[in-house]
Amino acid sequence: MQEHTILDETDIPAVIRRLAAQILERHGDAPLAVVGIRTRGVTLADRLVQELQRHRGDVDRGTLDISLYRDDLDNLAALPHVEGSDISFDIEGARIILCDDVLFTGRTIRAAMNVLLDYGRPERIELAVLADRGHRELPIAATYTGVTVDTRHDDYLRVHFTETDREDRVIHYTPEAS
Amino acid sequence: MSAFLLKRAGIVGSGHPDPVERDLLVVDGVIRDLGENLSAPDGADVIDAQGKILIPGLCDVHVHLREPGREDAETIADGTEAAIAGGFTRVLAMPNTDPPIDTGGMVTFVQSMAAAKARIPVSVAGCLTKGREGAKLAEIADMASQGAVMVTDCNHALQDAYVLRRALEYTRHFDMVVGVYPDTPALSDGGVMHEGRESFRLGLPGIPAMAEEIGIERDLRVAAAVKGRIHIQNVSTAEGVASIRRFKERGVRVTAETTPHHLLLTDRMLEGYNTHLKMMPPLRTDEDRDALLEGVRDGTLDIIATGHAPHTDFEKNLDFLHAPFGVVGLETALLCLYTDLVHTGKMSWGQLAASLSDAPRKLLRLAPLSLAPGHRLEAALFDPEGETTIERNTLKSRSFNSPWLHQTLKGRLTHVFLGEDDLLADSRTS
Amino acid sequence: MNPDSASPPRKDLLTIEDLDREEILAILDTAKPFKDLFTRSVKKVPTLRGKTVLNLFYEPSTRTRTSFEIAAKRLSADVTNFAVSTSSVVKGESILDTIDTLQAMKVDYMIVRHQVSGVPEYIARHTHAAVINAGDGYHAHPTQALLDAFTFQEVFPEMEGKRIVVAGDILHSRVARSVFEVMHKLGVEVGAFGPATLVPDTVPDYVRPLASFDEVLEFNPHVLYLLRLQLERQQANFFPSMREYHRQYGVTAERFHILRERGAWIMHPGPVNRGVELVDDVMTYERTLINTQVENGIATRMAILYHLTPEEQKRSPRKEVTA
Repeated sequence: MQEHTILDETDIPAVIRRLAAQILERHGDAPLAVVGIRTRGVTLADRLVQELQRHRGDVDRGTLDISLYRDDLDNLAALPHVEGSDISFDIEGARIILCDDVLFTGRTIRAAMNVLLDYGRPERIELAVLADRGHRELPIAATYTGVTVDTRHDDYLRVHFTETDREDRVIHYTPEAS
Repeated sequence: MSAFLLKRAGIVGSGHPDPVERDLLVVDGVIRDLGENLSAPDGADVIDAQGKILIPGLCDVHVHLREPGREDAETIADGTEAAIAGGFTRVLAMPNTDPPIDTGGMVTFVQSMAAAKARIPVSVAGCLTKGREGAKLAEIADMASQGAVMVTDCNHALQDAYVLRRALEYTRHFDMVVGVYPDTPALSDGGVMHEGRESFRLGLPGIPAMAEEIGIERDLRVAAAVKGRIHIQNVSTAEGVASIRRFKERGVRVTAETTPHHLLLTDRMLEGYNTHLKMMPPLRTDEDRDALLEGVRDGTLDIIATGHAPHTDFEKNLDFLHAPFGVVGLETALLCLYTDLVHTGKMSWGQLAASLSDAPRKLLRLAPLSLAPGHRLEAALFDPEGETTIERNTLKSRSFNSPWLHQTLKGRLTHVFLGEDDLLADSRTS
Repeated sequence: MNPDSASPPRKDLLTIEDLDREEILAILDTAKPFKDLFTRSVKKVPTLRGKTVLNLFYEPSTRTRTSFEIAAKRLSADVTNFAVSTSSVVKGESILDTIDTLQAMKVDYMIVRHQVSGVPEYIARHTHAAVINAGDGYHAHPTQALLDAFTFQEVFPEMEGKRIVVAGDILHSRVARSVFEVMHKLGVEVGAFGPATLVPDTVPDYVRPLASFDEVLEFNPHVLYLLRLQLERQQANFFPSMREYHRQYGVTAERFHILRERGAWIMHPGPVNRGVELVDDVMTYERTLINTQVENGIATRMAILYHLTPEEQKRSPRKEVTA
């Protein structure tokens, strides 16, 4: 495996500041909910909320576990561990920013939207991702994108956060050239 | 004239624990010479028996041939073929057929069927009471005159001590032994396995050891008091063995038997609810198993008999509570005893010969088989290096309810000699 | 998004004995988010959509069957009840024949309750479906034990070192056997209280038999778990009368008073025999967990259904989870 650092520990905070700025530009002070998808989407959501709350009033926080809504449960090597979702605010009429670390096929986001819609009817759902690596299998697009990375389907794109992985880095792994 | 020479067979006899290597010359089914470095006469086949064991023909005194009445499970023909495949050259057929063998006429009937259909001699047991109902004595003298050698009600344990008393007294005049299945139905009723930790764990009603222990004590006390000749069929408890030992020391005429599966298996193996391990008496604990082996070694348990009880797949495919009791055993007896006891040094060949041939024959008032010149040959040749897999398509019995089904046991019978015939060769070609 | 693999896929849940401590805790862990679902207006998730769940109840039971039905439906599964008329279950009708029929219907999950120990295991061996034992003879009732463990854990998140006494007809109780095992595996000390005829010597070594209510008080359980007493046992001479049973082994008014003072919790798998196992007041005691057990039953059974995998869906290993 060859590894290539896409974003390092100085890039990531800068990217997050830019994403927050874009969100502020669009929504201003309007009531907002930021919902992270487990596991690293939660970290992204936390950091975004931290950044947003420096410039505006409080933002609602939520966490989604999409394990029970996956469309591929029959094909996994092992069952995902179910942590459960935590949505303590009212979904009805809410403006939600869904957060995930990497956008790939779009299936996770599809599942996440289904979870949210089972809770109620939001006014709108927008998507913020740190990295978009292409290869969509469903018509899903991010509203706010940190970085777009050109990858092949068999490559890996990993996001590391200091909170979970002891470093801030976005890494692109490619198989060794044969 | 047919003649063959067995070269360097390991001769087994109850007089010596280990096999002794000898040559055996047999002409027209009669032993001509037993010695070392014998030469074969012209035209004689030479069988290389080096490394193989020649055991006296085995005799099973507890076999359910199911005919007449339950020919779907077993017939005299298939049952005796199973016996031959297991090295047995004689069996005692149990009388719990349908109709039961409780008259001289039924004894004759079964004997004549056996004479026509079986390739080995079949002795016949009669019922102790009419219809095995435990109330009125069957016509014991009549059955004795037709050649019945034992009377027993099989699994209808005699509840009425008075009837047992009269039966033991009455049979004193006939050369017959009274066989009993020791049990106390009030205590064992409803149980399907040994009552203990395993029955608790598996959630099944248990058969406490005391049901058999009390049965043995009672039956032996009655036998002692009226000086009858009694044979305890299927002993499974350590305390039961101890009781028999005590009464033998007092001079009571008692013989006793246990099965290969009780000597080898315990109730811990019932995990999985395999109905091929459901039998009466049930498999018990390690301590019981060890006591049974000790009983065989010191002669308290004279005989090992299989209790061969065929049941169809359909019968045994029920849940553990409702499946019938009983397992087949003719074809696996020698193999499993060799694999787990003789091969491991826990039992000698001599002991095996005593328990599976000499002592059962003695119960039937037959002299032990002899390999001295002048005697008809009745023996089986066993290859300890071979293997036998127990599968439906290799078993000769009509039923396959064996604890060893799908297993491979050490050892393989290569020949079963009855006079000049090798019964195994004939069945292989048929 | 990472697939957190706990244990390798399991097809059947037949006994607590098959589960080790880690797997038990994983199931209880999964039950929590399922319980949280109940606060939502839409109480369903699509996890088992398209899967068929068959209730095969040879022994009638409305409560357990309904609990499983609700659990399966909340996972969006299709649930059918296989009507086993008691008259057709006669000796001679092979369970194997029924299984062949069910196999042909390609059912994914079978929930089996049978009056004879060992039948669910037998069915599990002969079918691709994931089999859940909903109670077999005296042998096991693992889903009850798991929901009881979940309930216990809600009250005492640190279960290690706590004490439970199971009281009643231990001998004939599959619930007792499974509860013993699950509590023991989770580090809870176990005592057993009941007439000597119904608390056999063959209970596992870790279970302490208690001969009187005084001994129960000395053992000082955090939870007293009461079993239902069946009338038939009186006919078979296990004890002389219901009245004597209640006076000697039941939670009488005085005993309830003492337990209440100690802040003990009461559990019961239901249905309750008022006046036999306990007095009426126990039912309105704030530390009686009987209704909580029922509520937790659905969440726990959902977790169990999630945890099991029928055989035909062979899980092919994937390197990563698609995002």
